[in-house]
Amino acid sequence: MLEVHGLSVRAGDFLLSDVSLTVQKSSCHVILGPTGSGKTLLLESVIGLRKPDKGKVLVDGNEITYLSIEKKKLSYVPQDLALFPHMTVRENILYPIRIRRSSQDTENGIMRKLVDSLGIRHILDRQIRNLSGGERQRTALARAVVSGCKHLVLDEPLSSLHESLKKELWYLLNDLQRRYDLAILMVTHDLEEAFFLGDTISIIIDGMLHQQSRKREIYGHPQSIEVARFLGVGNLFRARIPPITGNPFTVYCEELASTLRLSTHRRTSAVTENNEFFVGIRSEDVVIPTQGGLSPNTTNII
Amino acid sequence: MTFKKISIACSFATFGLYAVLIVSLFYFFRRETLLDTLLSERTLFSIRLSVVAATISTLLSILIAIPSAFALSRYDFLGKRAVDTILELPMIVSPAALGAMLLIFFNNPLGLWIQDHGAQFVFTFYGIVLAQFVTICGVSTRLIKAAMDEIPVRYEAVARTLGASPAKAFLTITLPLSRRGIYAACILSWAKALGEFGATITIAGSMAMKTETLPIAIFMRLSSAEIEGTVILILILVSIGLSILYIVRLLSRGSSYA
Repeated sequence: MLEVHGLSVRAGDFLLSDVSLTVQKSSCHVILGPTGSGKTLLLESVIGLRKPDKGKVLVDGNEITYLSIEKKKLSYVPQDLALFPHMTVRENILYPIRIRRSSQDTENGIMRKLVDSLGIRHILDRQIRNLSGGERQRTALARAVVSGCKHLVLDEPLSSLHESLKKELWYLLNDLQRRYDLAILMVTHDLEEAFFLGDTISIIIDGMLHQQSRKREIYGHPQSIEVARFLGVGNLFRARIPPITGNPFTVYCEELASTLRLSTHRRTSAVTENNEFFVGIRSEDVVIPTQGGLSPNTTNII
Repeated sequence: MTFKKISIACSFATFGLYAVLIVSLFYFFRRETLLDTLLSERTLFSIRLSVVAATISTLLSILIAIPSAFALSRYDFLGKRAVDTILELPMIVSPAALGAMLLIFFNNPLGLWIQDHGAQFVFTFYGIVLAQFVTICGVSTRLIKAAMDEIPVRYEAVARTLGASPAKAFLTITLPLSRRGIYAACILSWAKALGEFGATITIAGSMAMKTETLPIAIFMRLSSAEIEGTVILILILVSIGLSILYIVRLLSRGSSYA
């Protein structure tokens, strides 16, 4: 298990402030946020490329914040993958094993299994410059897994791929995670990728952790306007509970001049009689009625 | 005339300037003096002395330049700016002044102590090596630093997350990736050391068959109005220098990893 407690780090004028998160064993925690929100800064502080001003990083309960990078046992795949250009694919994958001087048997055993599951046996003797985008991602993942670390830190490793290849690699990453019991901390700005791969999602905007929860919860219950907007909810309307009814499942929206019924699972704790709050309407929940009339699932008519 | 044509004309003008200087040497070229000068014991000694001294000073400077360049390229430390600036000293101070600085150093108490208890530098072979070393050390550090600056730091970071210590990451990643830059620095430093004159003559003097490097031999022949012999020696120096530059160009092809 990888834990981050109250991590703050400054980079020039930018401040990443008080971030806490946990990556459970065999799970994927996705850090989601717009470009420039501090996601990469967070990862770099976790793996030790930057010294945090405050906070702790723990692996399996042991503090590793100030250990040297090689002793932290966190495998890192940066956005540009950083495959060593002077080595072949095989040499890249074997780098962690050879650097630790593991035996030839270990080398062969790990290689055989991993290379087959990633489908890269045929490119083992190729130079890095001769690889396609997908082959480069697979090689980088293989190298990270071969290191034997159970914690993987991935910084938008699939961002440069086109859609179909990206989706293929989502399944592959999922498979690797299950097969090798990996705890993955991953950064992305791609909502679809985050909701496919993540078990837990943290949303960071402008250096602040805005929300952290299981993916179903975060999709249905954004806790701030910024998070809602980032999650693609464009229609946000101020609302309040009409004092006459006092019913928390019915809200009045002045901008729409309508009273809306809320389904129970869409209501958050912020929806109380004394609070003013926002109602978000996702475009996929809006139906324009045809001649056939309204669907029986229709909740509100605006 | 378009801008493109003007700029190309300028580049040919520069080429022409140097080409005219080289071609004009042949006005005093005598075939019969070629072998006499080339095979004379004094010339062969000068070539041998220049090559040996340049090789030793280059090796010494590269040994210091590699770790220095890495520190300047990768770390922030107190005095970094001062170190970085002083690397240009041999370029802003004339070689004669650099040699004079060495001579003055060896006449102060510390320098005299070194001469008494260590090697003699003034008017000796060691003086030649030292003069060349001082001239090229800054240049080779600057060249290797430029090569290391081109290598993304991320490679070393990733190597360390994969279990490499800082030294192993340097040896397995940074050093092999900057090898073309290091070769280029070696060759250019060697060529510069080979042609070094001002600092060498100031500290090592111009003693025939003792401290007479190739550039000093050119100076001495010119001083005694032996123009034909001077031309042959200049042609030897020019041939070595141009061959070296051609090799550097071949080596520096496709060296970018950014």
